[in-house]
Amino acid sequence: MKRTARFFAAALAAAMLFASVGLLSGCASSSSSDNVLHVYNWEDYISDEDDAENGYRDLIAAFEQDYKEKTGKTVTVEYSTFGTNENMYNELKINAAGYDLVCPSDYMIMKMIAEGMVEEFSEDFLQNGAYSMYVSPYIKELFDKNGWTNYSAAYMWGTMGYVYNPDYVDKEDLLSWAGIWSDKYQNKSTIKDSVRDSYFLGVAYVYREELNSLKAEYEAGAMTQETYNEAVTEIMNRTDEDTIESVKDALIDLKKYLYGFEVDSGKQDMITGKITINFAWSGDAVFAMDEAEESDTYLNYVIPEECSNIWFDGWVMPKGANTELAEAFINFLSEPENAVTNMNYIGYTSAVAGDAVFNEMLDWYSEGEEGDLDENGDPLVRHDLNYFFKGTGEIEDYSIWVSEESLDRQVGAQYPTEEVIERSAVMQYFDDDTNAAVNEMWEEIKGQPIPLWAYIVIAAVIVIGLLIGLSFLYKGKRSEPKPKKGYRVLKRGE
Amino acid sequence: MTKLHFSRKQLCIPYALFLVLFVVLPMLLILFYAFTGEGENGNLVFTFGNFIDFFTSAAKLGTLLMSVTIAIISTAICLLIAYPLAYILARSHWKRKYVLLMLFIMPMWINFVLRITALRELLDLVGLLGTENYLNTIIGMVYDFLPFMILPLYTTLEKLDNSYMEAAADLGGNKLTVFTKITFPLSMPGVISGITMVFMPSMTNYVVSDTLSNFNITIFGKLIDEYFTTFDNWHMGSMISIILLLIIFITMICTGGFKDSKTDARGTNLW
Repeated sequence: MKRTARFFAAALAAAMLFASVGLLSGCASSSSSDNVLHVYNWEDYISDEDDAENGYRDLIAAFEQDYKEKTGKTVTVEYSTFGTNENMYNELKINAAGYDLVCPSDYMIMKMIAEGMVEEFSEDFLQNGAYSMYVSPYIKELFDKNGWTNYSAAYMWGTMGYVYNPDYVDKEDLLSWAGIWSDKYQNKSTIKDSVRDSYFLGVAYVYREELNSLKAEYEAGAMTQETYNEAVTEIMNRTDEDTIESVKDALIDLKKYLYGFEVDSGKQDMITGKITINFAWSGDAVFAMDEAEESDTYLNYVIPEECSNIWFDGWVMPKGANTELAEAFINFLSEPENAVTNMNYIGYTSAVAGDAVFNEMLDWYSEGEEGDLDENGDPLVRHDLNYFFKGTGEIEDYSIWVSEESLDRQVGAQYPTEEVIERSAVMQYFDDDTNAAVNEMWEEIKGQPIPLWAYIVIAAVIVIGLLIGLSFLYKGKRSEPKPKKGYRVLKRGE
Repeated sequence: MTKLHFSRKQLCIPYALFLVLFVVLPMLLILFYAFTGEGENGNLVFTFGNFIDFFTSAAKLGTLLMSVTIAIISTAICLLIAYPLAYILARSHWKRKYVLLMLFIMPMWINFVLRITALRELLDLVGLLGTENYLNTIIGMVYDFLPFMILPLYTTLEKLDNSYMEAAADLGGNKLTVFTKITFPLSMPGVISGITMVFMPSMTNYVVSDTLSNFNITIFGKLIDEYFTTFDNWHMGSMISIILLLIIFITMICTGGFKDSKTDARGTNLW
């Protein structure tokens, strides 16, 4: 009795120890939460080191300093990172009060808004903040149209397309998403190991004829730009049973031409030449092109004619967040100079415009003035970015003059032409039922096909197993072996 | 100064705590998730739905079949390579045999993700990468888990009392008979131990299959991962884990059936 009591005492002590550790850490975080900003962002998604040579600056430290200068109050940023939207979402479900500002992707933002997990921005932020001043008019309109403006501030954005190696691939083939459904590039292309991205690819493939005829109609002047974009958006967001079934068949069919799927290896495999086509986000495309240049490989990026998917990552404030600090942080990052720093560091395109960003782009990409010739003696073409920058600064005409080939390279990937924007749309988030159906589809795509020999191996193993089992049974029942001729078995005690 | 005295029971407390916190509780959590689902209003309700869904989904059963096949082939190849090697090493009086043994075991000391990434480049060099996905996966599994087969086999074979074999030979058994009637049955515990240590991870180690098949092959472990991370359905993920546990359990019972109870004490069963 005494011993059991002692056991319980020890267990209790251990439990109290755990509890007190929990309490202590709880105290620590609550006592100083007035001036702590908990930011939860993607890995490697903010400039956080000081390196003047590359144009990097530790923006987190810079924010702390800037906030002190502006308000006289100290602030500490507790910065943590996640690897997938779903991990972030689950963490928020468990530890909702732990974060003031998170940076999920488009569909996850929509899901969180729909589920009421997100705080609204203050009137002041929406009217006078640096973000409201410098965010690109294109992004602003997109957010207004979809009703996200009050809940989310865009951070980085881009398109989807094919990165390809022009030494081995004809650009003509990739002017349609269907280009990789061909044994011409057998085992030379990869797509993303991601349900949503691959679903988009499947939809674009399945409805390519409809999309093409829409485009022809639009170009013939039969519909307005708005109607055209709405029609493209509608097609890209089809999730009915027939569409899912067709997408499944299309992607299973595609599998036989593919090198495989990839999460992060695509960029490297492009550079080492294992593959020549990679279905990629524009941000990764820029990264791949930059990296490849270092080993004298020149890659291109093309957005097929049918449509493209606009993706973005944006800031949201979970319910119960310290909104004042969170808004200050977003505004700080939205100062064009800081956006430039981030773009230098991350390589993606900021949703923030402004003259500082444009001048940096001029610095990177401009090849001359109107009327200048490129290396081959062809006139430079005008890359018109007014749709993105107009109204966020003083410059009259936001255009960059570049050679025609350059449009297939970094500048075209970072800022698509307005014509591409017209045929690009955002994919909405899937509701629970659709999500389950699409996941089921993905599972079947990934599991198919099962080779015949797999069935043969299993059958053989079952047969052998049965034979061994039977032989054991038989052995058990078998009588003692008969002695050889001329011998006899000795009896016990003989 | 009083001496500190701990009774055996007190010394057990840390282990008991460990077992409860890291083995029993997680198991209960998995069981809980596996047999619950989200009800109409988002509440958790008890259900067998996940179980039924698993066994009615062609995709999941296909994945199960594929990973069992890959695991069986990998295990068989591992056994075929490891047994002769372990036998030669254990029975020889060669002085440097430990060096050889160590060379085979040494890969275990290098991070396996690194080894698999290197193997990917090698397979690319010989032209298998991107074309022979199944073969690559099996090569990777064998490469990765071979030491786990060699070790238990070697320790079992090394501990075998030579007098059994001598007696068998004295009684007229030729070398083959001695091997099939004496050596092999006596080494059975090592064989079973090796099989369990290779079979289970080759059903679940999806880093190997993802890296070497370019995500073309989905094995059971990958399926669990997808349900937890990308599909965000912990209920089905837990159910698949339970089913995997059952499969391992069944294989253990099956292989345990061949075990001769008398050799138990001699064996080096690691499980």
